[in-house]
Amino acid sequence: MGWLLEARDITKSFSGIRVLNGVSLTVQSGEVHALVGENGAGKSTLMKILAGLHAPDSGALLLDGQPVHFRNAHAALKAGIAMISQELMPFPHLTVAENVFMGQEPVSSFGWINRPALKRQTEELLAQLGVSLSPASRMRDLRVSEMQTVEILKALAHRAKLIIMDEPTSALSDREAEALFRILQDLRQRGTAVIYISHKLEEVFRLADRVTVLRDGGLVATQDLADTTPEMLITLMVGRSLNPRSLPTPQRTGQPSLSVCGLGKTGRFENVSFDVHPGEILGIAGLMGAGRTDVLNAIYGLHPADAGEIRVEDHPVTVAKPRDALRAGIGLVSEDRKQFGFVPWLGVKQNMTLASLRRWCHLGRIDHDAENRAVEDQVQAFGIRSAGNDQPVVRLSGGNQQKVVLARSLLAEPKILLLDEPTRGIDIAAKAEVHELIARLAETGKAIVLVSSELPELLSLSHRLLVLSEGRLTAELDPQRTSQEEILKFAMPR
Amino acid sequence: MPPAPAHSTPAKSTRAWNHWFARFGLAFALLVVGATLALLQPQFLTAANLLNVARQISINGILAVGVTYVLLTGGVDLSLGSLVALTGVVAATFAHPGDWPVIVPITVGVLCGAACGAVNGLVITQGRIAPFIVTLGMMTAARGLALVVSHGRPVSNLSEPFVALGGNVAGFPVQILVLLAIAGVSGLFLANTRPGRYLYAVGGNEEASRAAGLNVPAIKTFAYTVSGALAGLAGVLLAARITTGQPNAGVAYELDAIAAAVIGGTSLSGGVGGIAGTLLGALLMGVINNGLDLLNVSSYYQQIIKGVIIIGAVWLDRRQRN
Amino acid sequence: MLEFRSRFFSGMPQCFRYLLVLALAIFCGCDQKAATRQPGAGESKPLVIGVSLMNLASEFIAMINQSMEAEAKQLGVKLIVNDAQRSPERQVQQVESFIAQKVDAIILNPCEVEASSPAVTKALAARIPIINVNSETRVPPTAFVGSRDEESARLAMDYIARRLEGKGNVLMMQGFLGQAAQIKRDQGAREVLKTQPGLKLLADQSAEWDRAKAISLMENWIQAHGNNINAVFAQNDEMGLGAVLALEQARRKDKVVVVSVDAISDALQAVKAGRLDATVFQDAKGQGSTAVQTAVKIVRGQPWQTQVFIPFQLITKENVGEHLK
Repeated sequence: MGWLLEARDITKSFSGIRVLNGVSLTVQSGEVHALVGENGAGKSTLMKILAGLHAPDSGALLLDGQPVHFRNAHAALKAGIAMISQELMPFPHLTVAENVFMGQEPVSSFGWINRPALKRQTEELLAQLGVSLSPASRMRDLRVSEMQTVEILKALAHRAKLIIMDEPTSALSDREAEALFRILQDLRQRGTAVIYISHKLEEVFRLADRVTVLRDGGLVATQDLADTTPEMLITLMVGRSLNPRSLPTPQRTGQPSLSVCGLGKTGRFENVSFDVHPGEILGIAGLMGAGRTDVLNAIYGLHPADAGEIRVEDHPVTVAKPRDALRAGIGLVSEDRKQFGFVPWLGVKQNMTLASLRRWCHLGRIDHDAENRAVEDQVQAFGIRSAGNDQPVVRLSGGNQQKVVLARSLLAEPKILLLDEPTRGIDIAAKAEVHELIARLAETGKAIVLVSSELPELLSLSHRLLVLSEGRLTAELDPQRTSQEEILKFAMPR
Repeated sequence: MPPAPAHSTPAKSTRAWNHWFARFGLAFALLVVGATLALLQPQFLTAANLLNVARQISINGILAVGVTYVLLTGGVDLSLGSLVALTGVVAATFAHPGDWPVIVPITVGVLCGAACGAVNGLVITQGRIAPFIVTLGMMTAARGLALVVSHGRPVSNLSEPFVALGGNVAGFPVQILVLLAIAGVSGLFLANTRPGRYLYAVGGNEEASRAAGLNVPAIKTFAYTVSGALAGLAGVLLAARITTGQPNAGVAYELDAIAAAVIGGTSLSGGVGGIAGTLLGALLMGVINNGLDLLNVSSYYQQIIKGVIIIGAVWLDRRQRN
Repeated sequence: MLEFRSRFFSGMPQCFRYLLVLALAIFCGCDQKAATRQPGAGESKPLVIGVSLMNLASEFIAMINQSMEAEAKQLGVKLIVNDAQRSPERQVQQVESFIAQKVDAIILNPCEVEASSPAVTKALAARIPIINVNSETRVPPTAFVGSRDEESARLAMDYIARRLEGKGNVLMMQGFLGQAAQIKRDQGAREVLKTQPGLKLLADQSAEWDRAKAISLMENWIQAHGNNINAVFAQNDEMGLGAVLALEQARRKDKVVVVSVDAISDALQAVKAGRLDATVFQDAKGQGSTAVQTAVKIVRGQPWQTQVFIPFQLITKENVGEHLK
């Protein structure tokens, strides 16, 4: 039989990094097709290509057997593909009806919007879905679940044949999720196809007919769910585990470099406690939104915690801003390089010494020679490739940018280093270099907290592993004895 | 992914041209404009006239150097023109013959400007209000204060030594010497001190600067204080030049100063720019002003020409950055 | 009614006062009109005149204001003075609130010929006499008190012609282009130039009434025209003084005649010291006091003139003593 949508050999790279590598996907009418994979597996990119937000570098899209090229999201929508993303983007000051028919309002002569028709048509759609919602309500007064419903209505109003949903239940309560599932059943019966991205395997098994698994930008498998168990699915997602690297185990006696106790921040995480000793790498695993970044940002003072205690070498410290953390000897390499990592139009040198400039100042004047020497040392040590130490960092590749940010943290001579996704968005060779570097830093006695979405990275680098789920610590594991499957089990929200 | 070799050659030469332009484009533009004027009007290239140009840009130049500090942090200072009036009037009230030694009105003027600038900075950083709004408020308030201090009238009858600030020393106009000193000190400061470096960092990425442990509010407040102090200095020099403290002086001077800095390559969004460019920008504006007067171009057309030049300069700046 | 209003309302915030007056006016509008317009009834109670000035920050306007206050005190009239700060829109609002307050007369110092005209129209429609002082509006008011701006430029140019004995090169510094004073002074100066074939206008540029800009412009002119300059006519004293400063710095003042208009105190000092050759005195005091007198005459039903022109006076070193007190 013919597929409603077929994607063939889709490849896509961003600034030289391949995020999709020859992925194919087929969807048929009236099917709920689940798409699963770890963070960074390429799910979102694939969906954005289907919805016209990105153009593939190579490969083909066929809709009803005809090749299509979407120039933008609007073109995809007109062809019948609607995407409901994680962050909803409604027009908050407009009404439900206006949002549903945005861009294709029924008009009377003179081009005036035909308000009675707008209201009537919205009510018809609401009745079809069996949802009670007033077409005249303002978007800003709705709950997230209701906004989602409006997005679905919008897709139906455009006569969408395929609706893509990216983690639709992440912001919903159980009851609201139930309502959404009912709507999905209804859509299926009407012959609409749904691509459903979720981390929650329970939902996948309950709703979907087939599942496609992606890993590291490649296609792993497409299977009927009837033939699949959750355990099989997890194995497909994480793949075979890499050989763990043998690390000298540090002494965990004596005084910890950093200890946090009962750390909490309302709505983000609560009651997080752990110690890190000199020379130790503590890994933190968790799914997206589990609060890993929030914990590190709180310890560093970017977004301070509102409960709990932070102690450095057994002295309590108050961290209200990053300056406090730096003074206490804590450094951070943020996951958001663009926002917190570097100053784009400043040079390599200026970025590298930003947090430690005082060290190269003499009588208020910067000692350029000393500064240049220190920077040159770091450039050599990290193998940073640039057109010169004054080249703006924005012009460097992601890997080199990351090395500059790492070097900056190290020049401030921290005792404790918080690393948040230190290898995100950098190529494989640079990744290996960064891994090597992290191990070396630990050997020199720094205490390191490592957050990563890549389980093999965590397993091979950490001495101990914590798992965070929905803002709480759910497990402490020994990387030598655990498996990716076990970690994922503790990381899944329940 | 390696770039296709077919594309690399033109791309590289464009980049080289952009690089060259970013460095020397403004100086080149200045040469072209200068040469054209010299051809059209032989009087342009005389020592006396060039000295005139230097004298005419010095007030705007000092203000432009000050506003460069603020622009580097990603802010803006619209209060400069009013501060020129306020500080000129305040200085003039201390500059009547036989009242005080000439250092007193100078100091009072500069301190008055610095205080207003510090208020700008503190309200912006502590109140978290947009610089545009705060300095717009200061623009109105300082103008009002100037009228209150002077009772709405020019403050005249100024002492010899004070008026001499508007004259020459060893054949060189005092204000040019002041501008050169200010620009020199500022250039060294921005290149060689921590606060200088931090101004660029804060304007380039405020969040990253905070994450690197910089005291962002203090750096911003410092920039506005310098901008205000230099407006005070400009106010004193202007009062000396026109031999009176004018509460109506300096209207829209801030716009000329910002224009000079932006023409000179300082970005309105912060983090990029410098004193040398700002000086060249002020010089280009001054040369065009002077040349159009020498050529007796109608005042109507002068305004159009200046507007086109400002927009053109910023457009070139954008183009080479993208 | 009037007494009641002034005593009762004086302590309230302005806006409440307006609201209350508005309400009262609606309830007993007819009575009110009769009370204010009857000459007999007005005699014993103080008259109230609303004044809207273009810009109190201008020294000249401030002088008009002072003489109005003095005259009002002498005649026992109460003035409500508002400053429009150069905004014609604000000026119209001020006149509207005068109308709401039921003042007996309005003195308007217009910001602009066109944009301030609605103020006059509204006052006339409310049957409140309105007197324009110093500058004009397109809509004719009840009476006009002021001077013909063209005349001031004519006086100045005539003086230059006399000094140069009808032969020489003249430069003209324009005010802010498009403002009434600039247009009229330009017109007056050109009228004289037409009758003086020996005088040549070398160049004219705007220095926007500003002394600092005038210095720069004069410096540039000295470069461009050098020894050919025989005289400079500046459309106000600020610019005239700027021209003098630039000429003095270039050591050319003894060769160039500089004349400007307004007779502000700095200019009078300069004339006395022989730095500025002449200025033209626009009689701010005369304008202010005559405006108040005219308003009172109209309200009291006494005969008045619809146009009163206060003459200009040329001030040179010979007669400057009379104006410096």
